[in-house]
Amino acid sequence: MTRNKYPDIIFIGQPNCGKSTLFNAIAGLKAETSNFPGTTVKHTHSRVNILGHILNIIDLPGLYSLAPGDEAEKVALSHLFYEKPDLIINVVDASSLGRNLELTLELIEMELPLVVALNMMDLAEKKGITIDVARLEKELGVPVVPTVAPHGRGLKELLERAVETLFHQVRPQPLTWSKDVEEAVNQLEKAIPLDFPVVANRRFTAIKMIEMGSQYFYQVLAEINLPLKKRLDEVKKYLEETHNVPAYEVVAAERHHLALKIFEKCAQVARSTKRPLLHRVDDLIMHPYLGYIVLILVFVGFFFIVFSIGSPLEEIILGPFERLRVLLFQRLGHGFWVYLIDGLLQGIGGGLGIVLPYFVPLLFMMALLEDIGYLARVGFLMDIFMHHLGLHGKSISPFILGFGCNVPAIVSTRILESRRDKIITTLLIPFIPCSARTTIILALVAFYLGPFWALGFYVFHLILIALLGRLLSVFFKEPSPGLILEIPDLKIPSLKNIARKTFFQLRSFINFAWPILIAGSIFLGILQSVGADGVINKILSPLVVKGLGLPQELGVTLIFGFLRKELSLIMMIQALGIDYQQLLTVITPAQIVIFTLFVSLFIPCVSTVAMIWKEVGRRIALISVALNLSVAIILSLAARIIFELIGGI
Amino acid sequence: MSRYRYFPLISAPPERKLRIVEVLGGHGLRKRLFDLGFHKGDEIILDARGLLRGPILVRSVSSDTVVAIGRGIAQKIMVEIISDEE
Ligand SMILES: Nc1nc2c(ncn2[C@@H]2O[C@H](COP(=O)(O)OP(=O)(O)O)[C@@H](O)[C@H]2O)c(=O)[nH]1
Repeated sequence: MTRNKYPDIIFIGQPNCGKSTLFNAIAGLKAETSNFPGTTVKHTHSRVNILGHILNIIDLPGLYSLAPGDEAEKVALSHLFYEKPDLIINVVDASSLGRNLELTLELIEMELPLVVALNMMDLAEKKGITIDVARLEKELGVPVVPTVAPHGRGLKELLERAVETLFHQVRPQPLTWSKDVEEAVNQLEKAIPLDFPVVANRRFTAIKMIEMGSQYFYQVLAEINLPLKKRLDEVKKYLEETHNVPAYEVVAAERHHLALKIFEKCAQVARSTKRPLLHRVDDLIMHPYLGYIVLILVFVGFFFIVFSIGSPLEEIILGPFERLRVLLFQRLGHGFWVYLIDGLLQGIGGGLGIVLPYFVPLLFMMALLEDIGYLARVGFLMDIFMHHLGLHGKSISPFILGFGCNVPAIVSTRILESRRDKIITTLLIPFIPCSARTTIILALVAFYLGPFWALGFYVFHLILIALLGRLLSVFFKEPSPGLILEIPDLKIPSLKNIARKTFFQLRSFINFAWPILIAGSIFLGILQSVGADGVINKILSPLVVKGLGLPQELGVTLIFGFLRKELSLIMMIQALGIDYQQLLTVITPAQIVIFTLFVSLFIPCVSTVAMIWKEVGRRIALISVALNLSVAIILSLAARIIFELIGGI
Repeated sequence: MSRYRYFPLISAPPERKLRIVEVLGGHGLRKRLFDLGFHKGDEIILDARGLLRGPILVRSVSSDTVVAIGRGIAQKIMVEIISDEE
């Protein structure tokens, strides 16, 4: 067995087969679940004791096939190929068995010990699919255990068969394909020298060579073994000529047909004439007109719930922090350390009191919609609008996340297949008012100018995003590849799953954005304690006073805005040296609008910039900063000019 | 009806059994369709919903999965109608 002393067991399955649920039932740990294909980017692992044996179990991202498409799949495959697991547990969705079997067949080709967990048996039954498990086991030549992951049904048997297969190292036999394809693979296999580095086994290596699409691979192969490369070319050419499609498709088609044949042998489908209730609900949700009314209602409700949970929580949590700060300055004066501690307090309080109260409910609601299967339908319904932004329907969920916090929103752009879509979405996300900016909009605009102004602010941001999306897509030659999105059946949500998902999403805020936020706060404390704010105000005064027509004292709050958006608010009040309620005595409503506009647009906060850097690279991060800065300056100048022309608000 | 009459999915009649004849598109597109269980020769049904302007909904007869496909892509999928006798 492998280098470490415990055997490795890998869980593999197509997206949405219930793999994470099954894995977690065994591991008792948290992992990501999602209805958008391909989001389980991180893999989770755990050391567990199964029937007296200690094993490493590893959950890989969902894969459709062993030919990588997106990044997540590449990650999963390199793990599978190079870490050589001791056992594979292939989780299969019994309710779409035909398609899932294609991956199973490919795994069998690897000839590693394999057990199939035939999951979602309850759904299959509901759909009228009866599966002859014994027959399936015989056809595939590997153990097949029916399971229902959320109820733990079949889990015990699965583990027993897994341990048995693992310790006897039972290896499956690949199933044979059509004669001519089999022949072609065979010939190539013979041409592979004995000392050639193989993946899994020689036949599998030969197949992968045929399927490989990379030009780079062929160049390397030509250099290290020219005769083999020539042989490969011949075999591919033969397959292409006889089948009239690219060689890799010949291979994929073999698996597809074999899978369908096995499916037909082992499963019976009784189509019921009665449409289930959920289907009728679906007719309404997906309706070309009514669907949009439902969509609007759902999202009004969505944000209503998020805010009605968030705003009382914010007050409850921020109150004690404020009192603590006041106490701090009263007791300890205004020394360097006091500012430092104050920065720390504010950083912790800002995360706890401003972001989390809104963000947690938002994530929870998102996970709920996703688990029901509604989010995919939102992607479908919104596709047409997203086209106006030069994107397609899948970008909608990063956008919604952005209203909570931009940082996880940027992480979630990984679900997009094309780099072009990923970049455009990433550049647009910082224009979405996150919960910190919503706080500013509510506190300044809604409080002083009324709720309609605040609503207007939101609408304005959305229009701006649409315009910028159009503008950005001009810079990309190729159009968006377009939407291909699986629409899963609607289902009753599982609370456990939603909680797990919420927690997982939250981690990227807690582990990444929050520490940066705290560091930023402490840095600000230091700036204040050494009196750097005066200097900064002077430097920024041409922009702040001449350009935007704001009091000079507000200059420093802009820097604060980069470190933490919502701090701009606190600092603004502090910088002007007055009580929140008396703001209008020193600053006009028009100035409030200009200030809010500028602060909310001018730069993504530092955590967001860092995340963009990490996800799509430095160049895009810099472009993002430049884009936000220029948009903010242009729009706030424009706002000032308009206000001056019409003589204020 | 002639077997050789085929047309893009976008202009196919809804709620009729169709067969995929050809996918005109690059490796990436073909692979994504393959992955979701849509191969050449497969039987699919175009859902009556979503026919106005947005993406179309396609159901695979064999795997019973539903996929939303953007109009641009639907233009590249050539299908033929499977006559009822078959
Ligand atoms: N009815 C039913 N639902 C299941 C089963 N297994 C998982 N699910 C649900 O299917 C959804 C997707 O499961 P998940 O584990 O996230 O799938 P993954 O993408 O393969 O990791 C979740 O809502 C699960 O609760 C099952 O056996 N039966």
